[in-house]
Amino acid sequence: MELQAIHKEPTSFLKRYVFSEDHKYIAKQFLWAGLLFLAFGGILAMAIRWQWAYPGQEVPAVGKLLLPRSGGVITPAAYQSIFTMHGLIMIFFAITPILIGAFGNYTIPLMIGARDMAFPKLNMLSFWFFVVSQVMVLASFGVQLGTAGAGWTTYPPLSTNVGTPGHGQTLVVAAVFVTGVATIMGSVNYVTTVIRFRAPGMTYMRMPLTVWGLWLTAILNVLFVPVLGSAALLLLMDRMMGTQFFIAGAAGGKGDPILFQHLFWIFGHPEVYILILPAWGIVSDMVCFFGRKPAYWYKGSVYAMCAVTILSAVVYGHHMFLTGMNPLLGQGFMLLTLIISVPAEVLFLNWLHTIWKGSIRTTVPMLFALGMIFVFGLGGLTGVFLGTISTDLYLHDTMFVVGHFHFTMAAASFLASFAGIYFWFPKMFGKQMNQTLGKWHFWGSTIFITLVFGGQMIAGYAGQQRRLFDPYQYTFLKHLHPLNTYTSYAGFALGLFQLIFIYNFVASILSGKKAEKNPWQVSTLEWSLPSPPEYHNFDVVPTVIRGPHEYANPDAIKLLGRDWLSQTEILPEAGAVAESEVTAGAAE
Amino acid sequence: MLANRVPRILLGLAAASSAVLTALLATAAPVQELGIGLPRDVSVDGHRIDWLIKITGAFTAILFVIMCVWMALAVVKHNKDHKAEYDHGNAKHQVKFAAALSAIIFFVVDGNLWVNSTIDVSSAFWNFDMVEQQADTLRIEINAHQWAWDFRYGGPDGKFNTQDDIVGMHELRVPVDTPILVHLASTDVIHNFYLPNFRIKQDAMPGMVNKMWFQSKETGEFDIACSQHCGTNHYKMKATLIVMSKEDYAKWAAESSAIASRAYAADDSAAHWGWEWQSK
Repeated sequence: MELQAIHKEPTSFLKRYVFSEDHKYIAKQFLWAGLLFLAFGGILAMAIRWQWAYPGQEVPAVGKLLLPRSGGVITPAAYQSIFTMHGLIMIFFAITPILIGAFGNYTIPLMIGARDMAFPKLNMLSFWFFVVSQVMVLASFGVQLGTAGAGWTTYPPLSTNVGTPGHGQTLVVAAVFVTGVATIMGSVNYVTTVIRFRAPGMTYMRMPLTVWGLWLTAILNVLFVPVLGSAALLLLMDRMMGTQFFIAGAAGGKGDPILFQHLFWIFGHPEVYILILPAWGIVSDMVCFFGRKPAYWYKGSVYAMCAVTILSAVVYGHHMFLTGMNPLLGQGFMLLTLIISVPAEVLFLNWLHTIWKGSIRTTVPMLFALGMIFVFGLGGLTGVFLGTISTDLYLHDTMFVVGHFHFTMAAASFLASFAGIYFWFPKMFGKQMNQTLGKWHFWGSTIFITLVFGGQMIAGYAGQQRRLFDPYQYTFLKHLHPLNTYTSYAGFALGLFQLIFIYNFVASILSGKKAEKNPWQVSTLEWSLPSPPEYHNFDVVPTVIRGPHEYANPDAIKLLGRDWLSQTEILPEAGAVAESEVTAGAAE
Repeated sequence: MLANRVPRILLGLAAASSAVLTALLATAAPVQELGIGLPRDVSVDGHRIDWLIKITGAFTAILFVIMCVWMALAVVKHNKDHKAEYDHGNAKHQVKFAAALSAIIFFVVDGNLWVNSTIDVSSAFWNFDMVEQQADTLRIEINAHQWAWDFRYGGPDGKFNTQDDIVGMHELRVPVDTPILVHLASTDVIHNFYLPNFRIKQDAMPGMVNKMWFQSKETGEFDIACSQHCGTNHYKMKATLIVMSKEDYAKWAAESSAIASRAYAADDSAAHWGWEWQSK
């Protein structure tokens, strides 16, 4: 470990506000970019829900504007683009920048006591590569034949020129490659920063669990995003240079479509954990911060997250049980997949034990953290049906899968993101968010997100396949129309409740009450700094003497009259406190 | 002492009974009209999957309810007026408890899934050797393309891609109480042959022949669906499975094969999409 020098704050406009190398500013850039695309992906989701509630009817308000040629009605071609881009945008261009780009950048250096990232310039480049990829995504909507339509999984041959000709699909595959480059740049930075720039005394086992989650995510990103990159490159070559890596069948190729699936899911399954590990970390910290109790079996949580990180790389085959996979291989993937439930159980038990016998403060971040445990419980428990071959024979590619991964990847990371935003907002912007509006936002989000994704699971249990433009073409799905309509209502309500957040977020930045240094009374390093912190974070790099969750310590209560101790605070001797109090009293 | 314990016991009982109630609801008979149940099962082996889904549903429902009750109690009982306990949870007995509980859940829920899935898959769903050896097995080649299903029967000579092949589209006719062995391929992109009333599906891959088999207990008409996104008209890629009595099927097969032989045209290459049957 080494000490970082203090960088001087740049004075030129470009270096301050555009190509900033300050991790705190880059974090905000990622946050804005991610939130904008979250709204975009959310609007696409509303369009999908509209189609399932009112197939063939004109989309209200914006329909004529966005789909002029069909008179505002969603066509099958438009529909496949909508669900494809909803998935890709949410995963790569909304959740990834918020959870990893924003929280990773903001919290890692502050929480480990570093003055900046290890490679500030690379950090800046990471953001601007990401912006380029977002622009490519937006551009793909404007080209002839429209944007990508082969599903977010982009399986060839459908994703080659055989199934989706046109520059839209090409642009989107290229955008995924570019965003991968941005992710790798960011992740190399995170991995290095955590290894090299922890403050003196900040051992691995004293790191906040948020940092653990983000660090393990960064390691997974560095290892597996390159695999996605290679798959994207091979696919681009098939599309643009006439190669046939993935083309087979009547199109004449001797390629192997399954090869793409292997490459995609070797990345794709770790990706699920890439999106959930930061959420786990954030929630693990929140339950201590607002349960006012030390983390229950901290090391167990760390080991569990490490175990999940390792296992995540060897379970991907459960996405491919039905490709004609060798049954023995399927058997192995099933066993490994089921084993992942063990570390997940350890984490759940630790969260529950942490809040048990605590002194729970139901602040907005805590509510969102508890909401995340609730939805992740639903998502995690329904996963075992899909990791098992025989039940997957029926449930594979149904809405049950869609509901399951929305509960885990969407609902859980969405609620954890909001926990994080409400929690670090005072530090990031120096202002307070309105807690009452936050609570409304919490209840609306959690209730309706559960109803939307629960409705999807019920439809899938009844057999509805995913990605159907009009499910009611099938006799066995006709009776699901009312269910899907109610689910859509829940979806629209979920969307409306986000308006509260948008208002609260913007209004608080503009005219929120000034935030104190440590409004939550918590013990991690970032809360020992002013809100917002100085450009170089720490005037003096702190020396850490204890773990991140020191609450309800009887000595602290006796000697200091409060229930928490910061990570750097030396507990005064019993006599010393009494003495200083006496002196202070005398001085008055 | 006892007075202290009574509310705890009551709470425990309340939690346990609500868990069991939820589990019972989860396993209760499906209510078709509300759209919350499994489609009717008409296959010989589908009940294995239904049972495994329901028993796992019950297990997971119990776990979920316990988790919710635990959280709710903590939030209500151990609120800001409760003095937090200073406990790092890393004492030996605590770690042992967490590890043991996780292990028990794993061995019961996941263990049950693993054992039953392994038995079901190797003895039924993917047991192609058994089906190959059965004398009355009907062999069918299915080719998927955007956006329809083609079906091919070997005809009286039992050989594929010959003059007497019955070739059809949109309708798959099979006899009841007979194992149907399907070899599945695709012309263009990946499709997925899905029989909701039989609880099975299988990918149709271009450049590859995949296998599946099923057997119906009842006559009737059932949906054949595509469950892999295969382009704009994916939602319309459906067909009908018509399960007939053995006599009706035999009659239909004989007539259709005779018609097929008469209508055979050697130069109609598009109609000769079949392939030689590979029994291994």
